[in-house]
Amino acid sequence: MNEWEIAATVLGFALIPCIGVVLLAPPPHGLAGMQVAAVLLSTILVLLSEGFHRQPFVDLAVVFAPMALVGSLVFARLMERNL
Amino acid sequence: MSWRAAVAVILLIAGGLLEMLAVLGICVMRDAYDRLHYPGLAGFGAFFIGLAVIIRESFSLIGDKALLVGLILVLSSPILAQTTVRSLLIREFGDWRAKTRERRER
Repeated sequence: MNEWEIAATVLGFALIPCIGVVLLAPPPHGLAGMQVAAVLLSTILVLLSEGFHRQPFVDLAVVFAPMALVGSLVFARLMERNL
Repeated sequence: MSWRAAVAVILLIAGGLLEMLAVLGICVMRDAYDRLHYPGLAGFGAFFIGLAVIIRESFSLIGDKALLVGLILVLSSPILAQTTVRSLLIREFGDWRAKTRERRER
């Protein structure tokens, strides 16, 4: 196991409290937790593609990061109307 | 261990620590507006990790794209935070300017 896989595993476990906030806290708090979880997941995808020496898989992270941004913006707009 | 690997590991650890700090902030803070500071911090952690990959692999397929992911996350987090806070203010007060007017009247 190299350092990139170790970092991906650690950040993978760090996703658990974020998901806890998303599930248990009120919607506005959950949105903040979702945004941090999205950043973590993008990072994990980069780390895994580097750790497993599978360069093409970094495209997953390149696609996921902007999609997470758009998803968060949509949620934020929906939150205005007491989702 | 070459200097590139050493610098990459240092940046990797620094980026990971920043992201863990952001997760800690999300868990510890009580107010939604306070919690919204931490996606930006996590974005910088991702940027450090992107730097670590590019130092390790230099300008290659994965190096360029890892840095691109880091840049996307760093540049988008202020936009996201501002939009989210604006929405939460509208949700809470009906108008995001209401808060500033309230504060001015005090």
